[in-house]
Amino acid sequence: MSDTSKRDFEGMSLTAAEYVLGVLDAAQRRAAERRISRDAAFAREVAFWEERLGGLATAVPEVAPTPGLWSRIEAGLGRARGADQRRAGLWQSLSFWRSLAFGASALAAACLVTLIYVGAIKTPSPPLVARLDAEGGQAGFVAAVNSGGGSLTIVPATLLGAERKSLELWLIPSGGKPHSLGLIDPNRPVTVKVPKGLLRRVDDEAVLAVSLEPEGGSPTGQPTGPVIANGKLARL
Amino acid sequence: MDAESRRRRLAAALRRVAGGDRAALRFVYDETAAKLLGVCLRILNDRSEAEDVLQEVYLNVWRKAVSFDESRASPITWLVAIARNRAIDRVRSGAVARLSTPIEDAAEIADPAPLATETIEAAQENRRLYSCLEELESRQGTAIRAAFIDGLTYEELAERMGVPLGTMKSWIRRGLAKLRACLER
Repeated sequence: MSDTSKRDFEGMSLTAAEYVLGVLDAAQRRAAERRISRDAAFAREVAFWEERLGGLATAVPEVAPTPGLWSRIEAGLGRARGADQRRAGLWQSLSFWRSLAFGASALAAACLVTLIYVGAIKTPSPPLVARLDAEGGQAGFVAAVNSGGGSLTIVPATLLGAERKSLELWLIPSGGKPHSLGLIDPNRPVTVKVPKGLLRRVDDEAVLAVSLEPEGGSPTGQPTGPVIANGKLARL
Repeated sequence: MDAESRRRRLAAALRRVAGGDRAALRFVYDETAAKLLGVCLRILNDRSEAEDVLQEVYLNVWRKAVSFDESRASPITWLVAIARNRAIDRVRSGAVARLSTPIEDAAEIADPAPLATETIEAAQENRRLYSCLEELESRQGTAIRAAFIDGLTYEELAERMGVPLGTMKSWIRRGLAKLRACLER
């Protein structure tokens, strides 16, 4: 370690290590978490310590949970359905259309349906769509890959609240890392371009996700904030 | 199952969880719940609190799996980090009254020194970490392990090990600086 990095350790790296170690109080922990979401170098330091110190957990003996715990967890997953079930049943699902119809964006949903319909006429293969579930299984967004696959339209299915300013859309190809598709609007449909390098990875194995990010989007190029909705692409 | 294939299976399951696959979440739960409950219980010292936190942890995994990045973290350390953060936040919020452990038990918390298969596995996976910890002054290493495993603040560590707060901070900070230098070598 060089002298410079030794000096640096006093600041950022030390705070990251203290956060991971768990010696900070509640207010200092919140401050560290805010810093993770806006300071990529700090986030990398935290990741370094989590990966290294995490090994200490192997020394902690395992304790079997009580048998009913899984059911409690499963109940908390809300109405969210498994991916396979979703693929088959989404467009026949009454509750899905109801949630759209009673949501704030019935008009936007109608636009999307039109768009998918037009897309379906133009393209020989069935269009790719996704329903992005929010917490509790509510449809948060619906998205459709436009004909040709070069762009994607995402429509909010419920009102998320105006304070959710920086929402970032991610494409996660099967077995790959999240790729940003840019910022989206919580209150109106947005069409984003799919980067050329990703065109071939937009398929029914990929996942779309929306995360809450600092103003202007993720500073790290990877999701840093909580994921507020996500779902798998499926062929209509 | 060896560590590498377990890691690959867990990572694959987390990718399926990101797409909303409940069966994959169940797999992750079956593979890791006992480890994560152990971690939470150690911090919270209360079985029912620890299980409440564990429930939150897997709901968190359900929502956050999409941000799991295989190239940056191994699945188990990613899960352990979520569990520890939840458990520590619960303790820091003051919602849980932790029984304070008398000073004479500090030696017990100090060196978990487990035996059996886990230690062997740990030794293989974390040889570097453990050998770096060995290079620290023993009280520095002791304080760092106790802080991580029991989720204690500087104040609590100082109280448990019977030293002034400033001394504890300097043990841990010097220990972390040396550990960092050793891990990067």
